[in-house]
Amino acid sequence: MKKNMPPDELARDGRFVRVNMVERISDPRNGRGPTGGRVGARLTPDRPGAPDAARALMHGIFVGEIQALEGAGRTCWDFEVGAGSDDVPFQLKLDMARQCWDEARHCEISVKLSEWMGTEIGEFAESTFLFEAACNPDPVLRLTGVNRALEGLAIDVFNTMKEFGNVVGDPVLEFCEDWMLADEVTHVKMGSDWLRRLTVDDPERRKRALEFQRIVDKLFSGGGFRGDDEDSPVHLARRFREMAGFTVDEIDEISDLARQARAEARARTAGATAGAAAEAG
Amino acid sequence: MTKVVVIPEAFTLVHFESGRIQDLAAKVAGLVGLPADVEIRIEVEEQSPLGRVRVESIDPITIAVQGGAFEHAKKPRQLSDDSVVDVLGRVFHRIKDRLDPDFGKPPPDAELTLQQATAWDAYCVGRSDRLGLHPSKARRLYHFRNRHGFTDVADATFERLWNAEHLTWADIEAACAATASARQPA
Repeated sequence: MKKNMPPDELARDGRFVRVNMVERISDPRNGRGPTGGRVGARLTPDRPGAPDAARALMHGIFVGEIQALEGAGRTCWDFEVGAGSDDVPFQLKLDMARQCWDEARHCEISVKLSEWMGTEIGEFAESTFLFEAACNPDPVLRLTGVNRALEGLAIDVFNTMKEFGNVVGDPVLEFCEDWMLADEVTHVKMGSDWLRRLTVDDPERRKRALEFQRIVDKLFSGGGFRGDDEDSPVHLARRFREMAGFTVDEIDEISDLARQARAEARARTAGATAGAAAEAG
Repeated sequence: MTKVVVIPEAFTLVHFESGRIQDLAAKVAGLVGLPADVEIRIEVEEQSPLGRVRVESIDPITIAVQGGAFEHAKKPRQLSDDSVVDVLGRVFHRIKDRLDPDFGKPPPDAELTLQQATAWDAYCVGRSDRLGLHPSKARRLYHFRNRHGFTDVADATFERLWNAEHLTWADIEAACAATASARQPA
């Protein structure tokens, strides 16, 4: 079985259609309207389109769970047990195996929850960003990018969806999200713990890993999708992040990155609009 | 055949064709039974990936559509025939009701409560389903539960609205009252 499988070789049936990050980021509509793309502004029940936004977000969670399972499974396989920089401790593989078990359960929960919400499997496009972060050849960077940045984003999304389920009185949504959220906190904690343990004598490697995490965090805060601002669709779940091993400073940094990403997206749009106007004139 | 005007004529941010929207709209208007002599104006806000649709006026018939409502869910910026038909089937039934003096006098779209809008939608989309426009009933049921409660009364009310023909605005209001009382804590 090959090691380091590329994202385009992930197995999917005909229901799934993939959209790449470049397409998403280069969409000329970005930054022109409310934040959050199809999801729109903050997910609150008073928005007329809130149920559809919740369905789209839940489908995104579902495909994220599939990729998290695939990513943790690859991490069990891609690295040998040992003390070298390309190796991992056996206990790390055990943690990844446990994560596979959790993610497989989350996939099943997500399928049933999507059905409950009136969504078909593959109804929305799939972006493979999570698995792409899980392709980093350095196990420390891989765990930092996936378990701290993306599973951290999952904490924020699950908490937002759980609150939405609570407010609209949807007990199935609320409990499903709550159960998955509990596991995500554990996954992020695994990432935080392994980052510290594997880089205890290698500050350069830790620095590189945290830089990779920043890049991933910024990418997925793009356009204000996730942040501390009132109109961000997904809010930073500060308490759960602290439980998962993030310091207050680290959470503040993610909040700043989100604001920065949003400002940059708006500047890009303004530039594109000015360019188009100049061309037309 | 109903005359349909689509604004803008040419799209620059999304790959929509106004001619295709016109054809689909005329076909759905005929199926729903809108009068052939009316003109329908569809104003598409192409910069928005969101999916809100509103009837701005019925004389002349003007519909404001956020671009995401017509977009393919799996292919960003591409027009989806299914989405256009789904959206217009619902909205044209609403317009047909507004044009029918026997239906009663509902408030303008902008003044509808979320409960009223969702109950009316269930009635409209159920009729679209029977015309063979293939809307998603499961999606509409989830919308309805979000607005009317996750209760047996809400589910039964939804079924009644979905399967109904020839309702009036008073029936829609009565449906809202029934689910509201079921949402009250005992």
